[in-house]
Amino acid sequence: MAHDREILRMIWEGQIAICFQADSEEIVGLQQPENFYLMVSRLSYLPLVTDKVKKYFSRYISHEQQDGNIWFDYNGIPLKLHYPIGVLYDLLYPEEDSVPWYLTIHFSKFPEDVLVKLSTRDLLESYFMSCLKEADVLKHRGQIISSMQKKDHNQLWQGLSNDKFDQFWAINRRLMEANGDQETFKYIPVRFYADEDTYIQKLITPINKNGQKKTVGEMMIEMSTPLKKVVEVRTQGISIHDGANLQWLSEHLSYPDNFLHLFLVYESNI
Amino acid sequence: MADTEDNSITEKDNSKICILLNATGNVPIIKKRKWTVDPNKTVSWIQKFIHQYLKLDANEQIFLYVNQTFAPAPDQIIKNLYECHGTNGKLVLYYCKNQAWG
Repeated sequence: MAHDREILRMIWEGQIAICFQADSEEIVGLQQPENFYLMVSRLSYLPLVTDKVKKYFSRYISHEQQDGNIWFDYNGIPLKLHYPIGVLYDLLYPEEDSVPWYLTIHFSKFPEDVLVKLSTRDLLESYFMSCLKEADVLKHRGQIISSMQKKDHNQLWQGLSNDKFDQFWAINRRLMEANGDQETFKYIPVRFYADEDTYIQKLITPINKNGQKKTVGEMMIEMSTPLKKVVEVRTQGISIHDGANLQWLSEHLSYPDNFLHLFLVYESNI
Repeated sequence: MADTEDNSITEKDNSKICILLNATGNVPIIKKRKWTVDPNKTVSWIQKFIHQYLKLDANEQIFLYVNQTFAPAPDQIIKNLYECHGTNGKLVLYYCKNQAWG
């Protein structure tokens, strides 16, 4: 059960300052547009928060490109539209002193070989619901999400896309409750990131061999190999204490897609 | 993808993952259900494979589901799905032309 409501609220309110710049090659006319500054929620997705950005820059680009698929890059790296913004930020780890985060918006040349075209709200919504379903398969064999009604599913998506904490958590609370009379989930839905290409998923149990709740420290050992030792775990922009237990972490520090997105820092042997 | 009936391929390369393709809805059936696939191949790679194998029109789409429950992201890799949702050494995938358990 999610008792530490204040922590849920703090995680929900986590924001990133972004400075959007135009792709100078797409600008028609002599005048380059000014940059566009925006505070965005770590938990949201780029296509959900950039309507205003798109509208602003579309005045400066040619008509043929107006309806193109929008995408963004940071230092030449295309940003995955279906990753939560906080995950993208932590993954690309901008220099700490370079606040805000400088991103370039593009209206053309969508890089189809590297980016999934989840650029509309509808596609993003169905992807988001799939994540919730997968997470619930891991936590409760999918029994909670499948017992919900369509309106509950809508409420989760609306709560996230309209940034309404109470609306979202009124439903999400049920997904974050442990199994029946037990104190934990079956497995912890988690995606591990070590580099920017992709993530790793494994079955991670919330209980250790001795029947106690597994700690982050124990999971770090589980994720280490003789050659690569995990020395730090980060998520939501913070370093996680190795004494925290995974069940608590999953209930409180997961993204709205119900997954923990954990960044593993390996000891460098060089 | 390699043919599982060809044992020389599967035995030489244990790192490959066995997947089971099930048709659902009004989609043509692929007779051979068992395939082995490189763990780092993506969901969209499998979708393209099925699309080509069934010689579908360019405007037709293939949807993939894991265990009849959720649709994985197109850039999800097979290894992750197998690790979390594989059963008895196999990953069971369902494919169709319309959204089924979307």
